[in-house]
Amino acid sequence: MSEIEEIPKIQRVVAVLWPSFLTSGVAMILFYWVFSPGEVFPELAASGVSNMAFYSATFLFLWLTTLTSCLLSCYFLRPCSRCND
Amino acid sequence: MSEKASKPVKPVQDSLYAKREEIYPREVHGIFASWRVAMVFLTLGLYYILPWINWGEGRQALLFDLPNRKFNIFMMTLWPQDLIYLSALLIISALGLFLFTSVGGRLWCGYACPQTVWTEVFLWIERKIEGGRPQRMKLAKSPWNLNKVIKKGGKHLVWIAFSLWTGFTFVGYFSPIRELAVDFINWDLGPWETFWIFFYAFATYGNAGWLREQVCIYMCPYARFQSVMFDDNTLIISYDEMRGNPRGARKRGKEKPADKGDCIDCGLCVQACPTGIDIRDGLQYQCIACAACIDACDDVMEKMDYPKGLIRYTTLNEAKGKGLHIFRPRVFVYSAILFGLVVGMVWSLATRVPVGVDISRDRNILYREAPNGDLENVFTIKIMNQDDKAHNFVISIDGMPGAVLDPDEPETHVESGEIGETLIRIRAAEDIIKDRSTTITLRVTASDDEKLTDDEDTRFIAPADWFQK
Repeated sequence: MSEIEEIPKIQRVVAVLWPSFLTSGVAMILFYWVFSPGEVFPELAASGVSNMAFYSATFLFLWLTTLTSCLLSCYFLRPCSRCND
Repeated sequence: MSEKASKPVKPVQDSLYAKREEIYPREVHGIFASWRVAMVFLTLGLYYILPWINWGEGRQALLFDLPNRKFNIFMMTLWPQDLIYLSALLIISALGLFLFTSVGGRLWCGYACPQTVWTEVFLWIERKIEGGRPQRMKLAKSPWNLNKVIKKGGKHLVWIAFSLWTGFTFVGYFSPIRELAVDFINWDLGPWETFWIFFYAFATYGNAGWLREQVCIYMCPYARFQSVMFDDNTLIISYDEMRGNPRGARKRGKEKPADKGDCIDCGLCVQACPTGIDIRDGLQYQCIACAACIDACDDVMEKMDYPKGLIRYTTLNEAKGKGLHIFRPRVFVYSAILFGLVVGMVWSLATRVPVGVDISRDRNILYREAPNGDLENVFTIKIMNQDDKAHNFVISIDGMPGAVLDPDEPETHVESGEIGETLIRIRAAEDIIKDRSTTITLRVTASDDEKLTDDEDTRFIAPADWFQK
């Protein structure tokens, strides 16, 4: 049995959800450190969307992106020998 | 110890790859358990109380006011431009962690990590409702009946309520907590506040209630690399094999059997372990250095009339008989760097002037002739007001005697946290221009507080052909 199969499910879930959560949090902070939401989305900001909404939505979008990347990493880490099964 | 030991005890976390078995840590009492309880009160006490403290009238002492992009930290107001301080704080924390780890091993894990302190609270709730380790194991094995539903359901209800309070407090660091409390009571919260309260509550409930030691094993980056900060003089929790082995059961009060060591193999150290390992197998990555096994074992040693410390804080060198060396070059170097950084940061914060100026030259024309025949340079001045109230800023010039500003005494009103922009012209008569490029200093000072001042150098440019003779 290959090692990847023996990794507990929780570890695999964590390997997808957790690094993506951390990196998207850092990315979000760095992004809004440089730009204010009003500069990036002037029309939306003018229509009364709150900064809290910008930060939250950006974070969730980034998380979804990095999460997809983590998922793909896990997918490609599957041993090639199993592709023939 | 009120709970009766049962034998034999197999370490639960036998293999990293085995299916996880539920761990029911036995409650222990002792010096290290008391330290942990004290740290729970200190850390969580601060966490839940700090956002309610005001500094000055109506100003929350600790508020990371994301909507307005400013951070209240007691008497200071920091802005996104001050992120350097946050970075410095992170570096200081990391270095502090290096220092503590090299001296005392995983002290952070055992006493101060949020995962540990919240798990401690969740375990306390579990114990109060479901009982001690044997009762909890029995309840888990028993078929579903009214008693089990009440106990398990009650536990989860209390956990959820506590988690919601935790989530609410968390959001209270980012959105004024008193307003948040009123909105919460009237159930009039904004959608994102609601989302984050539930998100953080869910994370707390999941991590401290369900995942527990798995967070340390699978999620914690520090746990993975902490061992590289260890050396032979780092304090670790260790079982004294020389003294303890061979292990074996014996009658209490009788003479110690000649063929046995001091370990009576009661298994209490394993039962007490929140990560389910057997410390007698040596130092392991799963050990969070909570010292519950020390407390459990000391208790047993006392009852057996054996000396305490069969499991104790020791170093590899001490175990080898080379003595305890806490103060060593590594510790001094870490301490010195840490001290330097802390002093630097405190000094920088204490002398921080909350105004910033940025000068840019008119890109289109380097110089031009003014109507009266003087030479003129045009600049755009950006004034960043990082103070927590609005000010009028006056601009003055230095470094070129005789040069004048137009407008005369330019004054710019800038709101708190805003950046004001103004255009100024600097004029100089031909006879006072001594060089093609003259360094001048533009100073910006608040009209009502001369300590609020900042300056920046720029250059006054004259035509090159004036100086080519």
